[in-house]
Parts: sequence; structure tokens; C-alpha cells
Amino acid sequence: MNRKLLITIISIVVLAAVLITLPIALNNVYWTSILVIMGVNILLVSSLRTIKLVGHISLGHVGFSLIGAYGSALLVMKLGLSFWISILLGGLMAAVVALALAYPFLQVKGIYFALLTLLTAETFRLIAWYWPSLTGGFWGLLKIPSPNPITIPLIGTINFENISNYYYVVAVIVSLSLFVLYRLEHSHLGFKWIAIQDAEALAQSVGINVKWHKMLNFAIACFFAGLAGALFAHYQHALSPDSTARFGVLMSIYLVVYMVVGGESKFSGPVIGTVILTIISELGRALGEYQPMMIGAIAIFVMLLMPEGLIGLPKRGKLWYRRSLHQTKRMRSA
Amino acid sequence: MDLPAQVWMQAIVNGFALGWLYVLMALGLTLILSIMGILQLAHGEVYMIGAYVTYYCCVSFGVNLYASMFISMAVMAGFGLFLERFLFRPVRAQILAPIVISLGLTLILMSTAVVGFGLYERSIPRLAQGSVVFIGSAVPKDRIIAVGFAVALLLLLYLFLKKSRFGQAMVASAQSREGAILRGISPNVMSSMAMAIGCALAAAGGTLAGSILMLTPSMGTLPLVKGLVIIVLGGMGSLLGAAIGGIFLGLVDGIIPVAFSPGLTSLAPLVVVIVILLVRPQGLFGHE
Repeated sequence: MNRKLLITIISIVVLAAVLITLPIALNNVYWTSILVIMGVNILLVSSLRTIKLVGHISLGHVGFSLIGAYGSALLVMKLGLSFWISILLGGLMAAVVALALAYPFLQVKGIYFALLTLLTAETFRLIAWYWPSLTGGFWGLLKIPSPNPITIPLIGTINFENISNYYYVVAVIVSLSLFVLYRLEHSHLGFKWIAIQDAEALAQSVGINVKWHKMLNFAIACFFAGLAGALFAHYQHALSPDSTARFGVLMSIYLVVYMVVGGESKFSGPVIGTVILTIISELGRALGEYQPMMIGAIAIFVMLLMPEGLIGLPKRGKLWYRRSLHQTKRMRSA
Repeated sequence: MDLPAQVWMQAIVNGFALGWLYVLMALGLTLILSIMGILQLAHGEVYMIGAYVTYYCCVSFGVNLYASMFISMAVMAGFGLFLERFLFRPVRAQILAPIVISLGLTLILMSTAVVGFGLYERSIPRLAQGSVVFIGSAVPKDRIIAVGFAVALLLLLYLFLKKSRFGQAMVASAQSREGAILRGISPNVMSSMAMAIGCALAAAGGTLAGSILMLTPSMGTLPLVKGLVIIVLGGMGSLLGAAIGGIFLGLVDGIIPVAFSPGLTSLAPLVVVIVILLVRPQGLFGHE
């Protein structure tokens, strides 16, 4: 067995152990709920990065997350579907809408795409606001049920009303989704996406259907956004279309900031960015209204001074270390 | 639908006034986008801060309302110069970085407004009292003045871009950056000017909005989204497109809630944009 594989296996085992023991170690409903939200955000930000793979920026990821959230919640409440099916259908709905919208949106170049996604998210939010018979209007959709309890032989019935049990559902689904996204990125499809980002005209000329791949990429990313929204809906038990709540423009801003602070060049960047910024904003909760200011300042600071994000830090540190080593050597020989 | 003519007239007037506010927003955005290549997403916050500057000048220091509006435009132009020099110039060549910086700026400015000005709603004194009768229905005077201001600013901008040396230099820089550099036009100076003019227009728009509607720290978000829609509708860098797109959106906002339901108003811009993109991707008045 080679060393790299061993390291991978060990880190996965350690990570799994940490994920399993975290809620037990924290033993606190508040922090467990923070973990659940963090998991949902990690999935959102990672799928946002998937769109970045073809060179696009989406400012409307929360819009597709809204479709998944309302879709899944309504399927459970109105049609009585099971949670496990409805969250997938919620994601699928988001993907279908994304696929349909991607065709007209991709008529225009990069920066306009970002602008159109922002418009889309606002439109979806306003539709939820103005459609009270289906979505509960501005009062929001209330009393969304938790997943039905499941019975496993030998272990017994697991009840998901309990937040730490729901945490495990989120942890498993988010981990599986991240695995899928990672595999996709390193598959043949992912290479095509990266080829499109690097040189669109060249990719086209070697026979990659650029538009179709961009549409597919957007739909896949939005599927996971919808899935994340569905997970959020069944955790929160209530959805609100208010602009200050989960599905407003501000949340889209936070998602992009999480992505770039972590660093969008590596798969682990969004995860690191989300975890660190969530911890920082939790610690900064005492600052009250000043808290968004802090996050905004961090975003600007990172963009101006270390554009590759937090994951670029080790490399920078190494470079700096080598350079100083080199200098001391030169000074000695002189 | 049997609504009295007065209601229709009111809807059209309101929509028209709103539309011109959106035009002011869109003009700044399109100027910045075509010259600097940057999507300035904090423009809504510039609009909001501009409105508050007018409010404080006018209400706290008792300066004349029109004078305060010009003070606010000058202050925000200065603010724009500052933003361009220290935040946007270092990252201008990139795509993601300017967007993230403008998003960070949005967070900072919005929470500054919440902390500094408070969350409660206020309003700038009306531009004028009373109303005039026009085709058998009353039209408030302040809306007429607001539209007049917006039209005057649009015309001034048009004359500046067409007739003055600096304006022509800006147009050249937007058309071909390298070509303009070869003719000795500095892209940095052009960017500063675009940002200053754009922020001044936003301040004017914010002031008019604050007088007709309300002042809140989140007042900039909706006009920003509208301004972005207008750019897509009208085509980048087209003043005529921005004006027509803005009036169209304003009328949609004014008339559809009266005629149909408010829900449709929110859906309309997206549908229109999709149709435009399918039929004419470069926008109504844009060129490739």
C-alpha cells in the first residue's frame, strides 16, 4: 500500500470520527444547530464552486435552494411523501428549473450570467412571497415535519425530532454529496468543465459542446443547492421568503464570500472557508450589527491581499520560509 | 377591469416616476460596467448613503433641499473616487475579485447604515407640495419635479459624452481600451470619472427616492436589481436603452399590481429578460 492512499484513508477515518463525536462532545443544542446550518452551507458553497469550474459565478444560488426547500416541504406536507424521497425530488426540481433557465442565460457572457442569477433568486423569493395559497406568503411556510422515524432491527427506532439525530442525517447526506461532487470534478466530465474554463474556444474546437456542458454543470450544481435547501427546510420546520431571512440577496453574498475566503481553486477551499467564517461570525455574535461589517472587511482584505484564499496560505508560508532560508545562506557565504 | 381613470392615471404616474429612479441607477451601473468592466454590486448602497447624506444636510443642518442634493452628489462622487482608487483599481483585470469586493462593500455599507442611521424609516421632505391637474386627474408636483431632475441629468450625461473631450475619451475607452491607451487616454482617469459620475447619479436617484418613498438601510437592494435588469434589457453602454428599459420596468411596477396581482410584477422582469435574451441577446439597443 502506498503512502498517499494510507494518508487518505487515515484522514477519512479521522474526519468521520470527528463528525460522529462532535455533537456528543459539544453536548449543546445551540452548537449542534450551528453544525447543521454549517453542513447545509458547506453543500451550498461547494456546489457554487462547481459552477465556478466552467468559469461562471452564480449570485442566485439561494434561489435554487429555495426551490428545493419549498418543493420538498410541500411534497411532504401536501402529498405525504417520505422525507427521503422528497429531498431528492426537491433537488431535482431545482435542477430542472436551472436547466430550463440556463439556456437563455448562457446566451450572454460571464458577468451578465452573474447578474441574471441574482435576478432569478430575487424573482423566486418574491413568487414565494406573493403566492400565499401555496407557500404561505410572507407569513412563511410553517410546521414542516421532521423526517419520519425509521426503525432499524437491533438498534430500534430513530426519531429525527431530536436535533442531534437530524445532525447525523445532514452529516451523511452532505458527505455523500461532497463525495459525488469531488468524483464529478475528477471525472472525464469535470476535465471538460475545466477545459471550458481555461480556454472556451479551444474546448469548442476539440469537440466539446460548450453550451450543453455549461447547462449540465449549472443543473448539477443547482441540484445540490436544492438538496441543501430541502435539508434546511426539514431542520428549521419553517421557511420565510423575507429578504433578511435565508433566501435573500444577503445570503447569496455570504455564500460567495465563504467560497473566496476559503479559496476557490481547490475542492477543500469552500469547506474551510465556510467552517472558519461560521466560527468567526459565531464568535462575533456579541458585536451585533457590526458583524456583517466584519465579514465584509474580511472578504475585501482576502481579495486584495491573498486572492487565492485561506488554502493558499501554506504555500505562501513555504515560499516565504524558503526565501528567508535562502537569504540567510547567502548572508553566511558572503 | 373597471377601475376609474383616476386610478389608472395614478398607476401610470407612479410607475413613470419610479422608472426614472431606476434609470438613474442603471446609468451609473452601465457606465461603470462598460468603462471599468466591473459589476458594481454595492451601487445600491451608494444610492442609499447618498439619500442619507441629503437627509442629514437637509433635516439636521437645515440646508435647502436642492442644495443638499447637490452636496450629496458631490460627496458621493468623492466617495466613488476613493472606492475606485483603493478597492477596484488593484483588481480590475480579474473577474471574481471585483464582484467579491463589491459584495464585501455591500455588507460593510449596509451594516454601517444600520448602526449609524438606525433601522426605522424616515423620509426626506417633499420636493414640492400639492398637485397639478393633468387630463382630468391630479398629478402630484413632487413626482413631476423628480422626473424633471432625472431627465435633466440624463440629458447632461448625454451631452457630456457626445460633446465634451472627456466624454468622447470615455466613449473611446469603453469601445476599445487598448486603442484608447494608444491615443493617450489613461484608463485610470477614465475609470475614476466613470465611478465619480456613476456614484453622483446614484446619490441623485437615492435622494429623489428618499423624498418620494422612504429612507431605510435596505432601500438600495430593489433599485439595484432593477438597474441590473435594465442593463440586460437595454444593452450595455446604451443610454437610450437604459432610459427606455427603466421607464418600461417602472410602468410594469406601477400598472401590473393595479391591473392584475402584485405577484405578477415580480415575475414580469424575469420573463421579459428571458424573452429578450432568446430573441436579441445583445439587448434592445446594444451592439455586439
